[in-house]
Amino acid sequence: MTTKLRPAAAILASALFAVPLYYVLVNVFKPGDQIAQEPASVPLPPTLTNIHAVLTRPDGLFWVSLANSLLVTLLSIIVLTVLSAMLGHYLARSGKRWTKVLALILLAGLMIPPQVILIPVTEVLRLTGLMATIQGLVLFNVGYYVPFGVFVFTGFIRGVPVELEEAALLDGASRTQVFWRIVFPLLRPATASVLIFLGVWIWNDFIDPLIILGPSQGTTITTGIYRSIGQYQADLGSVFALMFLATLPVLIFYLALQKQFVKGLTGGATKG
Amino acid sequence: MGRKPILPRVWHFASFGAPGVVIYLCFVMAPILISFGYSLTNHNPFNPPAEFVGLENYRSLFQDEQFLTALRVTTILTVIVVVVPNVLGLGVALLLDRKGWLYNVLRSVFFTPVILSSVVVSIIWTKLLDDRGPVNDALRALGVEHPPGWLSDPDLALYSVASIVCWQMLGFCVVVYLAGLQGVPAELLEAAEIDGAGPVRRFRAVTWPLLAPSLTINTVVLLISAFKTYDYVKVVTNGGPGSGTTATIAFDVLATGLDANHVGYASAMAVVMLVIVAALTTIVLRFLRRREVDL
Repeated sequence: MTTKLRPAAAILASALFAVPLYYVLVNVFKPGDQIAQEPASVPLPPTLTNIHAVLTRPDGLFWVSLANSLLVTLLSIIVLTVLSAMLGHYLARSGKRWTKVLALILLAGLMIPPQVILIPVTEVLRLTGLMATIQGLVLFNVGYYVPFGVFVFTGFIRGVPVELEEAALLDGASRTQVFWRIVFPLLRPATASVLIFLGVWIWNDFIDPLIILGPSQGTTITTGIYRSIGQYQADLGSVFALMFLATLPVLIFYLALQKQFVKGLTGGATKG
Repeated sequence: MGRKPILPRVWHFASFGAPGVVIYLCFVMAPILISFGYSLTNHNPFNPPAEFVGLENYRSLFQDEQFLTALRVTTILTVIVVVVPNVLGLGVALLLDRKGWLYNVLRSVFFTPVILSSVVVSIIWTKLLDDRGPVNDALRALGVEHPPGWLSDPDLALYSVASIVCWQMLGFCVVVYLAGLQGVPAELLEAAEIDGAGPVRRFRAVTWPLLAPSLTINTVVLLISAFKTYDYVKVVTNGGPGSGTTATIAFDVLATGLDANHVGYASAMAVVMLVIVAALTTIVLRFLRRREVDL
């Protein structure tokens, strides 16, 4: 392609693709009546009315959802990182044959649709008294996403020389110390991948919080948006503002860690 | 891994392996077994006790018009979602495979929908494609007197939902193909050029075979995520318009099991769904991997 045609074609394709993003972005900053009349126009002058309305809702929907989403996401990714790094270490370092079976059982977990297990999961949670609780949702997230974490970590741990661990053991460190002080710091790229991917997936998750937290017990950002579209039908400005505010943390996270995001993806892609 | 393990085995498993494994078994593996068990009964939590019905649920499933429709809907959706973002993603990746800030910015444009929640994406498109939404306003302005009901026309809604999924997944494919393109050695392309190969020939003989791993990862990821499509259907159309025009199997499992409480029947559906996903993934992986090895 000629040198002038390529950038033009690239910009045109991207602009076409970005129309829905543009549509949300401009309407966040427009008063409601203007959204209905001229949905595509640039917001001049921009207004913060919609964002203000969402932030000061009397029922505090946005703040409650934000707190729940933060709590669920942070707890889940911390526990997931710790447990999958350790389980990954076991799979990478134990020479036993049955670890291959275990690895296969975990691999299967990567393709299980949540819908297949959700009904019995609600019963397991009800039985343990954890249904409709944040802890219940976190435990489910941990179980459901642990295979992904394990596979990222196992590959990386295989790349860490065993001699390093053996030397530290000879020097009198305990096995837990060896792992947390010597091996784990070397796994930073894997940890970044796991935190980023699982963070985004769990933050954006819809079906699991919808069903596990239930209708009354608590709302995350995504289920909050879902439940409020009904009442907000007439007030598009608030819908857009809520979606914008809900996405902002992930967007900032992504823009700050863009390189890591893409590296995480491509690491998986080239290795298959 | 012939090496002698460096830790006492039992201790190593108990402290490092067990916590993750136990939670996984409780929340993923046990529920699958329970689902399988339920699928052989007429379990309904509001109408106990459950009776063992053998394979009766499976037999009725394959005579159930609604389930067969869901199967058809899921198949159409999966085919579209596996093919379209793959093809367009490759095209966009080839277009954006240049260095410079402009191309970096444009890559981010394509990747942004990937990090959005599917609920957010669904709501954006619901508003855009509304009968009186901006898309149809634009069509009317262009002189189309009766623009289509993208989400209200039973013949069209499924394709609209599929397009929404494609829009969100496109950026993922772009990024994976871009990574693959980086792995194509420039010397190989130059050598082919010196040998007189035109751009099309160079792509077919050098680039495309080397993109095999990218194709594998995109196809498998798209296949698995398309097959479990739920969020878009729930938010955009709630299975309609009409009866089951956009209801996927994933949607039907939860509607039958949680809304209608026919847990036994829904479990049979879930088991069938799991078997199909597992079989499809295995076949596709084997087929695409063989392609990689042959190179």
